[in-house]
Amino acid sequence: MGSWMKMIKELTIRPKGERKIRKSPSYSFDEDLNKPLSGETVKEILSKSSDVVFREFLLQGKERIPCMLVVVDGLVDKNLLDQFVLKPLMVDLVGHPELAQVTLANVIDKTMESLIPGIEVKKISKMGDAVDSILSGDSVIFFGSLTEAIVVGARGWANRGVNEPIAESVVKGPHEGFAETLRVNTSLLRRKIKHPSLRIISLKLGDMSNTDLVVTYIEKIASPDIVSEVLLRLSKIKMDSVIDVGYIEEMIEDNPYSPFPQVAYTERPDVLAGKLLEGKVGIMLDGTPITLVVPAILTQFLSVNEDYYQRAMTAILSRFVRYVGSFVAVVAPSVYIAVTTFHQEIIPTDLLMSISAGRQGVPFPALLEALTMTVVLEILQEAGLRLPKPIGQTIGIVGALIIGDAAVNAGLVSPLMVIIIGLTAVASYAIPYYDLSLAVRMMRFPLMILAGILGFFGVAMGLYAIAIHLLSLRSFGVPYTSPVAPLRIRAFLQDTFVRAPWWALKRRPQLMDVEEPRTNGKG
Amino acid sequence: MERISVHQFITLGAAVLMGTTFLPVASIVTGVGGRDGWMSVLPGFALGIPYSLMILSLLEQYPSNNLLQISETLFGKLIGKLIGSFYILVAGYLGGLLLGQVGDIYQASIMPLTPLGVFYLGGIILVLLLIQSGIEVFARFSEVIFPLIVIALFLNIVLSIPRIEQGELLPILSEGFKPILVGAFKVMPFPLTYIIFLAGVIAFLPTGEKELKQLKSGVWRVVFMVGILDMLIVIIQILVFGPTETVRLVYGLLVLGKMVEISRTIAGVESVFLGVWFGAAVLKIGSLFFATNWGLEYVFGLKGIKWRLSLCVVFLGIAFRYVRGPSLILEIGLVDEYLIMPFVAIWIPALWGVAHWKKGVGIGRKETRSGGKG
Repeated sequence: MGSWMKMIKELTIRPKGERKIRKSPSYSFDEDLNKPLSGETVKEILSKSSDVVFREFLLQGKERIPCMLVVVDGLVDKNLLDQFVLKPLMVDLVGHPELAQVTLANVIDKTMESLIPGIEVKKISKMGDAVDSILSGDSVIFFGSLTEAIVVGARGWANRGVNEPIAESVVKGPHEGFAETLRVNTSLLRRKIKHPSLRIISLKLGDMSNTDLVVTYIEKIASPDIVSEVLLRLSKIKMDSVIDVGYIEEMIEDNPYSPFPQVAYTERPDVLAGKLLEGKVGIMLDGTPITLVVPAILTQFLSVNEDYYQRAMTAILSRFVRYVGSFVAVVAPSVYIAVTTFHQEIIPTDLLMSISAGRQGVPFPALLEALTMTVVLEILQEAGLRLPKPIGQTIGIVGALIIGDAAVNAGLVSPLMVIIIGLTAVASYAIPYYDLSLAVRMMRFPLMILAGILGFFGVAMGLYAIAIHLLSLRSFGVPYTSPVAPLRIRAFLQDTFVRAPWWALKRRPQLMDVEEPRTNGKG
Repeated sequence: MERISVHQFITLGAAVLMGTTFLPVASIVTGVGGRDGWMSVLPGFALGIPYSLMILSLLEQYPSNNLLQISETLFGKLIGKLIGSFYILVAGYLGGLLLGQVGDIYQASIMPLTPLGVFYLGGIILVLLLIQSGIEVFARFSEVIFPLIVIALFLNIVLSIPRIEQGELLPILSEGFKPILVGAFKVMPFPLTYIIFLAGVIAFLPTGEKELKQLKSGVWRVVFMVGILDMLIVIIQILVFGPTETVRLVYGLLVLGKMVEISRTIAGVESVFLGVWFGAAVLKIGSLFFATNWGLEYVFGLKGIKWRLSLCVVFLGIAFRYVRGPSLILEIGLVDEYLIMPFVAIWIPALWGVAHWKKGVGIGRKETRSGGKG
């Protein structure tokens, strides 16, 4: 509890009033945890799990001290433990003058000072800390009947390694991605920002899962208000387990009923580093390569890290294509429905004749035709996503070519409708963030229905309603539509629809009220 | 309390001032000033400047208060409430009529078979969404929509250039200055309707010394920006249709939209243009809804969604009362000329005069500060 409170108090500028902070999550077998720390009690608690190993041995000091090393099999590096813990204590130092002075009273201090040559060695005296450490992959050594123990950090387990993320691959730029191990991820981030102001705050979430979590930001660049708000929202999470960042995302976003994502994510250390340098806050969770980034704004979901690695002109063109693609993905089917149903006057006569000929014999109104095709497209996308890669590709081809062609030949849909739906599908892939792409897919259906009933009036109404919703969203106090509305002119001109050359990007994007120069040594 | 920035004040002000004026303005000024009618637009709009500056001067003296609260402070509770009641009636009635205009224009131009009620309902739902989201979101909405309106108007003007008939504007001042002055008088209700909204929104404006200066220069920018745009719209309509047709075509800009053709690919963008106009209409009706809502809140203490929904019903009722074109346009003109214009023309200078007199005597500020925010 103390650490949460201290951190929030330190970071809060304005008094936040009375807020209840939940106790720091920890092991929840309360009765056992209240007992004094001892090897026997730990054995009682953990001996029912077959993966917990209790290695008992004798330390040949001035006195013969019974010791017990407790580890979880599979979470520790056995070679490391053998070489730097068990071998020195049991073999190498036997008869050594240093060991000869060891008694039960001084065994812990002597062991830490001169017997174990590890980096991560610390003393603990609470049962909860001991159990947490063991289950997190640390090794704990108990000495006789002492109520204190030593934790030795020798974690080691099978992991995936640092690979390129599938969902965020780039042509130009670094190809490393986060892994499932938290410390690997923090080290990747540290390699990008070698500055003392990079803060990495460790926390734990989930009463049962006891998952390690890290909140990271750059002091003096990130707004203290935002950092304290992040910590406050995290402290309010009360769950048994936190398996993935998705659990956290839903618990900390401002408007959980909105289809639009209000928390960004990345699997790339370079992207996270870039965002932290813009004043944002990262949330990393052990067991997942995905890192959350807050606050998130709408335009951020249409930018990719490659925009900053390419030359400005290329980046501008890429962004333009993405914005056009997003707009097409939202409105293409509804505009087609509105035009063919209500506003034929907008189409030149030749084109109108061609469309009319294509629709000849189609038994359904344009609305039903478009809705059916869009639903089929959604099914194909979902099926392709869940199936193994080669089968998924086949499903896509079968769906797109064979079903589409058959539907046109059977006179169930017009050829133009197939083109429109195909175009919509391709355009939605231009949206780099999957969550935003899903939101766009969701928006398409009400817009199509409005277009089918009310033509362009319905489309305009739907788009304005979406705009009002977007304008009312906030992510950790930052307006979601910033820097467009409210207009922050510099950010709008330099890094929104276009990306100014690096030599012109002299200031960080303004999230709150502070605008920092990029090159003043603060980041 | 919600606050809007200086930039938001400018875009919101421009969006509300422009509102739906760009459709009837050409017909109105050309009807009085003939081919010189376009010269009336800017002087007519310029009248909004002294009124806005008077209001901002009151804001300086009574920060975070709207004019209804200031009226109660300066004129006493009874007169203040009478003014407030009239304010509510005028704003609400005009808002309802403009909602009616949405249905009227859509049905008359591109969707003749769709029932009017659908348009009214669509408009009022969006307005209610905006009202529920608050003044900050309303200001942000204007930041997004106003540039779209300006772009749409410019495109309409530029794409109509090939249809210009040279010489339609000549001879200049053939009738002298009198028709121009009368035309300006006809335009005056437009800025004064904006003043109705400004009277309420000042409570949300920043009150720092620097910001007040920016707000004052912002008023000039708003008026000139909108005035020049409307003037260009009048000029292009006179140049394309000639003065007689411009007077006859009440919504001449829509006809221009219908005539647009780009490389035999896109033609008749009237329906697209109407989509943008709908955004402008929502902003204008929203501003009047806000004004009515503030009135109810500060004069009678009626707050909350219940009263807002009731207001929606009232707006819909007014919209349904005036069903079709000519009678609706006539009614809007009457409200503008005989209700809003005299009300604002007397209320604001009187309030400003009394405030300054009291300031001179040294009693105004203390009273308001102790009076609170009502």
